[in-house]
Amino acid sequence: MTSARYRIEARGLTKRFGRNLVFKDLNLELETGNSLCVTGPNGSGKSTLLKILAGVLAPSEGKVMYTDIDRGSVLNEWISCIGYSGPLINPYDDLTAMENISFTSAGAGPSRIDSLLHRFGLTAHKDKKIRFYSSGMKQRLRFILAELNDPPVLLLDEPGTNLDESGRHMLRAHLDEASKEKIIILATNDGDDQTICGREIRLG
Amino acid sequence: MGEEILRNLRKDFLVEFRSRFALNVSIAFAVIATVSLSLTAGGTPFSPLVQSILLWIIIFFSAMNGLSHIFVREEDQATSLFLRITVSVDSVFISKFLYNQIFMMIIIAVVTPLFLFFLQIHVALICYFICTAIAGGMAIASCTTIVAAMVAKAGGRGSLFSILSFPLLLPVLWVSISSTRGALDGSSPAEDASLVFLLAFSGFISAISFLLFRFVWIEE
Repeated sequence: MTSARYRIEARGLTKRFGRNLVFKDLNLELETGNSLCVTGPNGSGKSTLLKILAGVLAPSEGKVMYTDIDRGSVLNEWISCIGYSGPLINPYDDLTAMENISFTSAGAGPSRIDSLLHRFGLTAHKDKKIRFYSSGMKQRLRFILAELNDPPVLLLDEPGTNLDESGRHMLRAHLDEASKEKIIILATNDGDDQTICGREIRLG
Repeated sequence: MGEEILRNLRKDFLVEFRSRFALNVSIAFAVIATVSLSLTAGGTPFSPLVQSILLWIIIFFSAMNGLSHIFVREEDQATSLFLRITVSVDSVFISKFLYNQIFMMIIIAVVTPLFLFFLQIHVALICYFICTAIAGGMAIASCTTIVAAMVAKAGGRGSLFSILSFPLLLPVLWVSISSTRGALDGSSPAEDASLVFLLAFSGFISAISFLLFRFVWIEE
């Protein structure tokens, strides 16, 4: 999937919750191989922006467009192009990691699944129910689920949260590699994560 | 899309049968209500009309205990965002709709024989009775799927679901009761149109729900 080139354009994005204005008239444009870091204080709308870009939250004004550059077509629904990971993404507690993976997988082969489980150190825990996972293990699983179908766009909300030192190294190495062939948008205030990105926008 | 629907349906059944919460609650209610009714009645014969009213009241409240669970569980366990980014809107609706239809058929399959057995009811037109139970069950599941999706995002979900579903289900219950009475007393099923009504009602509500579900599912 990552061989295709995509473009994300957001024009005039504004989000209000009732009378509370979160951000106003936000514009961005990214193509495959670009990465963007969204920073800002708590409540500035980082997670909200990522949800809008993922298409699970409607903006109050403005629009988001995903374009398949090679085909020159604008996508009506782009959920299959996105890998989304964030603290609000909760896999099913009553299912094992493998069952959650098989629910998320849209044709990911066993070799990709094994390689991601191995890379993020969950091979030995793949048949455990998620309710028995630590918060760091859950965060690793979130990242595996986001990357599983090798999406051309990765939206990562606070990706380093709850990860130990080795988890951060793994994530960093993976993102360094992935940033060459995907669009990566990180919402974070972690200085280490920010160095992965070529561009930054600050909210709030 | 078909593959997405199957994945989500499989996941929903796996989660449900691992906890069996909704199914156990609904079946427990159905058994308790039927047994209590038969003990209280103490062999008193009811007219076919009263029998069909009692049957549909038990089916209605058994269903109310479980049908909303499919969406409420996603909100309670905070998994709805994961579902949103994994499965497309249309696939979510169709898979939840199918799940509710299957769940409703299980309820009908458990409640109806129990009711007939404990109240010693003789059914004159058995095929017509089965068709009515299936068509009525389908109509209930069709109406309640979109209501469950809306109610899942609100507070006071349990009671709100029954209250909001009731006016929508009133015509379904009315026709199902009258049709069931016809099947029990063997009067000519002049209400053949009632089966058509139940199926048409299901189809109409399902189509409207499918078109409107996007506005319920994607947050504003």
